[in-house]
Amino acid sequence: MADYKAAPLASLPKTLDPNEYFNLSLEYRRAEEERSALRSNLKLQYQTQLNNPHRKALIDDPALTRWMYARSHTYPHFKATSKTSLSGFLFGVLPIIGFWYLFKTDRDKKEADIKAGKCIRKFALSS
Amino acid sequence: MAGVGFRRWAQALSRGKGSGLSALLPGYRAASGGSKADLPSSYPLTPEAKAAAAKKYNMRVDDYKPYPDQGEGYGDYPKLPDTSQQERDPWYQWDHPDLRRNWGEPMHWNFDIFTRNRVDTSPTVVSWSTMCKQLFGFIGFMLFMFYLGEKYPAYQPVAPKQYPYNNLYLEKGGDPEKQPEEVVNYKI
Repeated sequence: MADYKAAPLASLPKTLDPNEYFNLSLEYRRAEEERSALRSNLKLQYQTQLNNPHRKALIDDPALTRWMYARSHTYPHFKATSKTSLSGFLFGVLPIIGFWYLFKTDRDKKEADIKAGKCIRKFALSS
Repeated sequence: MAGVGFRRWAQALSRGKGSGLSALLPGYRAASGGSKADLPSSYPLTPEAKAAAAKKYNMRVDDYKPYPDQGEGYGDYPKLPDTSQQERDPWYQWDHPDLRRNWGEPMHWNFDIFTRNRVDTSPTVVSWSTMCKQLFGFIGFMLFMFYLGEKYPAYQPVAPKQYPYNNLYLEKGGDPEKQPEEVVNYKI
């Protein structure tokens, strides 16, 4: 098991992570405490709203709003670089033109075969 | 009451400066709900902008890393590690236990694929390279063996089937008046 290596879709288990056992410096601990403080603050906000007896409405999650906003407002931050243009071409333009070309040539060849009488026409929906 | 409000609105409209739909809307909005500053904006260029963005997303300044500014549309949204929700502690009291997420926690850009019903990045029983080797090794070996079997078939010796009555001359629709040719399927 010691030769287990992490991969993009298979992370390293915490028990095999060397950083859990060594290098526990003061800065690392302070960082963990700061993260914990942020988490506790958010928990307090949520619990206050959750247990409020006069609350009738749903509790909004600003993180969720931000995520939805970010995912739907990507165009203002879009720039036409070589990478994005290549992506656009490969996924937007190439499939359409490629499939049009393939289908057209295949069908034309079949039509020419039928006209020349070389094709056996079966009674089937697929060719 | 409603009549007074309508009259006031009509008066404001005739006095108003805007045009089109904005002229019909009131020039004020409620103070409840989030403000525009809470929403994601463009890539942070200065360290102050980075600090402000980290505060907005409830992250530490050191933890906050935006996506590289390559025009792909991310803006200042933080780049969180690509770990699925299945990896998170099942025994901790999450605010949303089915999503294993707390309220207000920054969501991954691809949060919807990392839910527990979908992509799972949790540690596997054996490492990825071992899994690949085993699967493709087996498939490759089977394909190779099937190819050999096609090329060099091995079976018991067989011959074409032999039928009696002159190769079933009458059954195959032969003329009963004519004498068929004699078919001898044996050799003594």
